[in-house]
Amino acid sequence: MTGAGASVLEVDELRVEIRLRRSTVRAVDGVSFSIAPGETVGLVGESGCGKSTIGLSLLGLLPAGGRLVAGSIRLSGRELTGLPEEELQEVRGDRIGIVFQDPLTSLNPTMTIGDQVGEPLRIHRGASARAARSRAAELLELVGLPGPSRQLDRYPHELSGGMRQRVSLATALACAPALLVADEPTTALDVTTQDQILELLAQLKSELGMAVLLITHDMGVVAGQADRVLVMYAGQLVEAGSTDHVFSHTRHRYTQALLESIPRLTTSRTEALHSIPGQPPDLARPFGGCRFAPRCAFATGECLTAPPPFSGAAGHVFTCIHPVEDGA
Amino acid sequence: MTGYIARRAVQAVVVLLLVTVIVFVMLHALPGGTARAVLGERATNVAIAQFEKQNGFDQPLPVQYWRWLDRVLHGDLGFSYKQNESVSELLAERLPKTMLLAGVSVLLALLVAIPLGFVQALRRNRLIDYVLTGGAFLFYSTPAFWLALVLVTLFAIRFRIFPAQAPQGSIGQILADPAGLVLPVLTIALVSIAFFSRYVRSSTLENLMQDYVRTARAKGASTMRVAFRHVLRNALVPVVTLVGLSLPFVFAGTLISEEIFNYPGTGLLFYNAAVARDYPVLLGVTLVVGVATVMGSLLADICYALLDPRVRLTRERP
Amino acid sequence: MTAQTHATELGPAGAYELAAPEGPLKLALDVFAENRLALASTATFFVILLFCFIGPLVYRTDQVHTNIAQTTRPPSAAHWLGTDDVGYDELGRLMIGGQTSLEVALGAAAVAVLVGVLWGAVAGYFGGVVDAAMMRVVDAILAIPALFLLLFVAAVTTPSVATLIAVVGLIAWLVPARLVRGETLSLRTREYVQAVRVMGGSPLRIILRHIVPNTIGTVLVNATFQVADAILVVAALSFLGLGIPPPAANWGGMLSNGLNYSYAGYWWLIYPPGIVIVVTVVCFNFIGDALRDAFEVRLRRR
Repeated sequence: MTGAGASVLEVDELRVEIRLRRSTVRAVDGVSFSIAPGETVGLVGESGCGKSTIGLSLLGLLPAGGRLVAGSIRLSGRELTGLPEEELQEVRGDRIGIVFQDPLTSLNPTMTIGDQVGEPLRIHRGASARAARSRAAELLELVGLPGPSRQLDRYPHELSGGMRQRVSLATALACAPALLVADEPTTALDVTTQDQILELLAQLKSELGMAVLLITHDMGVVAGQADRVLVMYAGQLVEAGSTDHVFSHTRHRYTQALLESIPRLTTSRTEALHSIPGQPPDLARPFGGCRFAPRCAFATGECLTAPPPFSGAAGHVFTCIHPVEDGA
Repeated sequence: MTGYIARRAVQAVVVLLLVTVIVFVMLHALPGGTARAVLGERATNVAIAQFEKQNGFDQPLPVQYWRWLDRVLHGDLGFSYKQNESVSELLAERLPKTMLLAGVSVLLALLVAIPLGFVQALRRNRLIDYVLTGGAFLFYSTPAFWLALVLVTLFAIRFRIFPAQAPQGSIGQILADPAGLVLPVLTIALVSIAFFSRYVRSSTLENLMQDYVRTARAKGASTMRVAFRHVLRNALVPVVTLVGLSLPFVFAGTLISEEIFNYPGTGLLFYNAAVARDYPVLLGVTLVVGVATVMGSLLADICYALLDPRVRLTRERP
Repeated sequence: MTAQTHATELGPAGAYELAAPEGPLKLALDVFAENRLALASTATFFVILLFCFIGPLVYRTDQVHTNIAQTTRPPSAAHWLGTDDVGYDELGRLMIGGQTSLEVALGAAAVAVLVGVLWGAVAGYFGGVVDAAMMRVVDAILAIPALFLLLFVAAVTTPSVATLIAVVGLIAWLVPARLVRGETLSLRTREYVQAVRVMGGSPLRIILRHIVPNTIGTVLVNATFQVADAILVVAALSFLGLGIPPPAANWGGMLSNGLNYSYAGYWWLIYPPGIVIVVTVVCFNFIGDALRDAFEVRLRRR
């Protein structure tokens, strides 16, 4: 680690392709961003935009047919792309932890909670069974599971959804990673549990001082948790900046549409819900212009011909040639 | 779990009763009437009438069933006129030998099939998978009797490693000559291996696709660790039930194997009885094999309940 | 199959799905067609069909009258695969034997599927006591090995093609019944089934028009395995001496007959029927396997 300013994560022009039966899809097409120590970055976008793919490619866990074709991923200065599998295994679970969306299927049904939570310690710290077990109890307490020592010998199906997600969190944090990737951590939970988990996340983040990449489709989650937000559409970043600024001074038309489509308590009952017309583009055949243009009410001919460049000040950038003006 | 086991036990009892009903129906579906079938074509009418009266054939069917069931439960499975011995005696002598044959075959088949199927799944679509799959298909698709005769020709006649006939006599004598068991066991095991390994392969593949495997890898677990510490246990759980379900198939295998190798078990007994039209024996063996299968299945289900924590620790319906 | 999250083999939903939506049946056929073994097996099966049913019209032999003067002759110009122990031409016998074997196997599979699907669908749909009772009957018959039941029947009657189809089929229906019952149990809770119930659809209508069509995949897979098993079981019966008596022929009988002469080295009596049995059974197994993969992909996309 070289100095306090060094990023925990640096992603540079990442390109990921996924080979399907008949075609190859460009799931991630030239994405760059960085995460500073202790920072929470929200990666937001609709289903299929590539945000989960980014999360998986950080760990080298792309699904079959997925391939990182270009770009670099640096964790605390260390280049991860191109690492052989054995070295990647050393990074996974130790320097990067990940929490997945569905807590029931993500846990091994025939393995006790204690064994699963303690496993990263046995893999990376060579801990003995007993040491791993006692540390697991501590971790379960950390994530707010009631009666942690009792839970050690229980099985995943005996716990509720919220409790399981806490277990997943405990597992991800076992080796005190520098970066935690949370891939839709609350999507499978009910609303009250969602809040609890997010609160827990915020608390742990400040206690442990780790960086968090929060992947979600929910703008509300981002608003409440992230220091900075990255908006993705069709495999590309369209807007990035501090959460406050992006929300209050939205620039990209897509981000604007996203925010507008969130129903509000103040919306009158007779007003129709805003939705974005059209469908996301076919990522097997991307075209050259702005990918959102076909659905954008403000698009012009120019938007369709050339990819819009990044504009805006450092701190808040976006790729739109007809951005939202302040006050508009 | 106790709820699960209790339910399975009740089901098993019902099935057992139904098996007895089936056998009873078979008993009364014999051509020319049971009496003539048992006593033979040449029996005199007097003998027939006496037999019928003796065995209560003049009573209504449900009564007959009840009395027959009562006799069965007291160990009386009828009398074989062709062999001049009670069916129960014949079975008592032969059943343990078939159990031995079946048991060893299944054990051997599992010991080979589990690693085989596991490797096939881990090396899916690579050369070793194709080779093993091809081999499995071949064994599975070949008539068992042909396989047995090939084994005999190869190992007993051409190379004289193992005897062509199984050892006779009591269980003690059979066990004293293990070489004689090899070919009969192999005949049953080879086909079962093919069947079991396909199942293990697909169960493993299904588990490999699960999310918890991704989580394990995300923790930094090596492929070995993921395979053995996570996948294997989960993939094997349904195999237990499979063994229970395959018992009828195994018993059918013992029939063929015993016939070819002259192994003195229930399969050979059944076959000889079929040729000789010895109905009491046929029915007795059918009943006993049916019971054995149901009990075996129940046992397998109990083992499954013990192995899968989702069943073991839950109060709800699995 | 569990509910997959976005990291499936086919990638996240949304953009990729919209790429080229394909009908489920076409998709299943596509996956099937990709499996070279399955395609080869299907082609082989058609060749075998032609061989058995059209062959005798081209290669004419006398399969009714024995010819003592010409027994156990090796292959020659007059008899391409030689003759068997009573003088029948082996190749011709292989053809008509195939007719019998295939008729029984396909017929039994058809009976099994018909009975099994109805039984399973009714049991699964009505649930409760009806289901419990029907399934216990299935369990009871399953507990007795098919070979035992068949031997018993063969001992009691003299089998003909029709009896064999009926008996093998009436034992083979058990497995599809179990499968269909399982599927029905899960389908019954689907919304569209509930919708039809609300609309006042009768149980029969629901079962026949909504549930059964959705089990076609599983049933088809199982049917191919039934055919394969039927061929083997009839062969075993013939070997044990209780199959269809001559002059009717079937592959199993030919094989077991030929095996009597293995010491004499009459290979043409052993390998042709044996190989043709193995090839046919293997073909059906490959087809069934590929169908299973094909329908599973379809299920995944649901």
